[in-house]
Amino acid sequence: MIQRKKSLQCRHVDAGSCNACEQELTALLSKELDIQHYGIDIVASPRHADALLVTGPVTDTMQPALKKVWEAVPKPRQLIAVGDCAAGCGVFQKAYASHGGVDKVLEKPDQTILGCPPDPEKILDTLRELMNS
Amino acid sequence: MSEASRVENPYNEWINDNISHKKAGDVWLALTGYRDGQIKSHWLRANGRIDEVKTACMDAQFASLTPSLPEVAWDEREIHDLFGYHPKGHPDLRPLVRTPRWPASFYPMQKQSDDHIEWTDVEPDNPAKVVEGEGITIMKVGPTHAGIIESGHFVFSIIGENILHLDAHLFQNHRGVEKALESLSVQEAKPLISRICGADTVSHQYNFLSAVEQLAGRKVPEMIEWQRIILLESERILSHLNDLAQIPAGVGFTVAHQRGLAMKEMWQKGLSAIFGHRFLFDAMYQEKLAVSKKEQLQQLLASFITQWHKWRKLADRQQGFHDRMRGVGVVKRDDAEQLGAVGVALRAAGVSVDVRTLMPLYRHNRIHIPQVTGGDVEARFQVRLQEVEHSIALIRNALEHLQGNQQDTSWSIPDDLTGEAVSYSESPHGLNAHVMQIQNGVILRYHVKSGAYRNWPVLAFAVAGNAVADFPLINKSFELCYSCADR
Repeated sequence: MIQRKKSLQCRHVDAGSCNACEQELTALLSKELDIQHYGIDIVASPRHADALLVTGPVTDTMQPALKKVWEAVPKPRQLIAVGDCAAGCGVFQKAYASHGGVDKVLEKPDQTILGCPPDPEKILDTLRELMNS
Repeated sequence: MSEASRVENPYNEWINDNISHKKAGDVWLALTGYRDGQIKSHWLRANGRIDEVKTACMDAQFASLTPSLPEVAWDEREIHDLFGYHPKGHPDLRPLVRTPRWPASFYPMQKQSDDHIEWTDVEPDNPAKVVEGEGITIMKVGPTHAGIIESGHFVFSIIGENILHLDAHLFQNHRGVEKALESLSVQEAKPLISRICGADTVSHQYNFLSAVEQLAGRKVPEMIEWQRIILLESERILSHLNDLAQIPAGVGFTVAHQRGLAMKEMWQKGLSAIFGHRFLFDAMYQEKLAVSKKEQLQQLLASFITQWHKWRKLADRQQGFHDRMRGVGVVKRDDAEQLGAVGVALRAAGVSVDVRTLMPLYRHNRIHIPQVTGGDVEARFQVRLQEVEHSIALIRNALEHLQGNQQDTSWSIPDDLTGEAVSYSESPHGLNAHVMQIQNGVILRYHVKSGAYRNWPVLAFAVAGNAVADFPLINKSFELCYSCADR
């Protein structure tokens, strides 16, 4: 676990978000917040990831892809629900093609970042806490 | 269409009426299916009137408009998927929204109850349209991506380094938003409407309120109208800033990308301090905000404009950047019109259409339409630059009209609201239209036809013939949202 204290590599999957959570995650990479200088980054492959960031209420069409990505993340791993939709308390969780949150499809997330969408600072704080825990 | 087919076709009125509207230069707002088998199209005429053309399904079939009006191809496929109505004569009826996981008899928009659905445990991929031949390779991308991007699945047919054909499989993010809105009251629907899309939320809020107010016969006080203009233009700036910052990333111009993102962040923080939300979710529903915050908004504009000029200078003077954008992802005027392109993509092709010129909300403003003709990435970049500056001018003008306390205490939504209304606005991504049917205050049918939905087929057209490596650049020059297309 010592290595994880020094970095946190995240893979992101959009599972039906309205794109506001994506915009806030993108803001983490801007020069203002610059998550990379804390040792946190978004990686291109789930195989390189320590954590999976999921946004959206998990649409049925995205469910198989999401499961495959999660299976590809090596253990130990962290599942992080970003935003109300992924956390199961968003406005679209009862829509017919929505599974109503990441816990319904994968497992209970290790971290839940509430907000519609959550502020980028809040996402950053949670990721840093997770990295240092 | 030949004389013979005119006589034989029982639906000729449906087809011919719609063709006449297109020929007259009217703007096509939406094609909407209904549970009772009706199909309606709504056209916005040059005089601002909205015309309705309708047909009724016979044996769950209706005459496809796609052979004459290719821009409705997706809408008819969607109606086929969600209602089970067959558009007779449609050249490509592959599933658009539904997937092999959906139970065969499941037509969500026909369904009355919210019973649990037994999804079939198979892959959701639909058949792709690819080019076959010697030397052609097929490249599949998505639905999940290597960065922070919305989910979409793209199937490229490639020869050498060039794209021959792109088959875009969207609707990965289909949640069933229109169905979720049914049986809700106006109050209950508000937060869902705001969240149809994070990038065009204000436009969706405006359309919703506009539909409700048409039916209620509300005369919106002018002060509230000025506030709505401020919100719509603030969103346009926010969205254009995002897109203007993303385009340089497509060619590795990192300085302009990062400074553009920083400028967006500054604008967004400012908006959040004034309107209470970084994306302006639910902002238009509160009607008493702007006056007290007038000074704050003026200060934000002033400091934003300083940053903006610096950034424009940086982007303008890099000739290599502009050379890189010229001639890439071209959509010519005729193609843009035929494919039903809207917004920045249409104006960049030299077509002066911006529905703000027809919206009663903007009647006291003169809308400047950028005169750009190239139809390429550069043209779309230039249109956005000019539109940001025009939005600044519109906000400044609106601020001058804001004074006094404009709270409209006499207005409340009638409990028994009944009828059907069509509303539209120019979202940052182009023409956005809503159709709402409501009975005794309960929504019966809600249809959303966003700018992104209209432009996705145009993007697929624009990338053909270009290098694969230019796809990200062309894609960013459209910067279409998936969420308000997929719903």
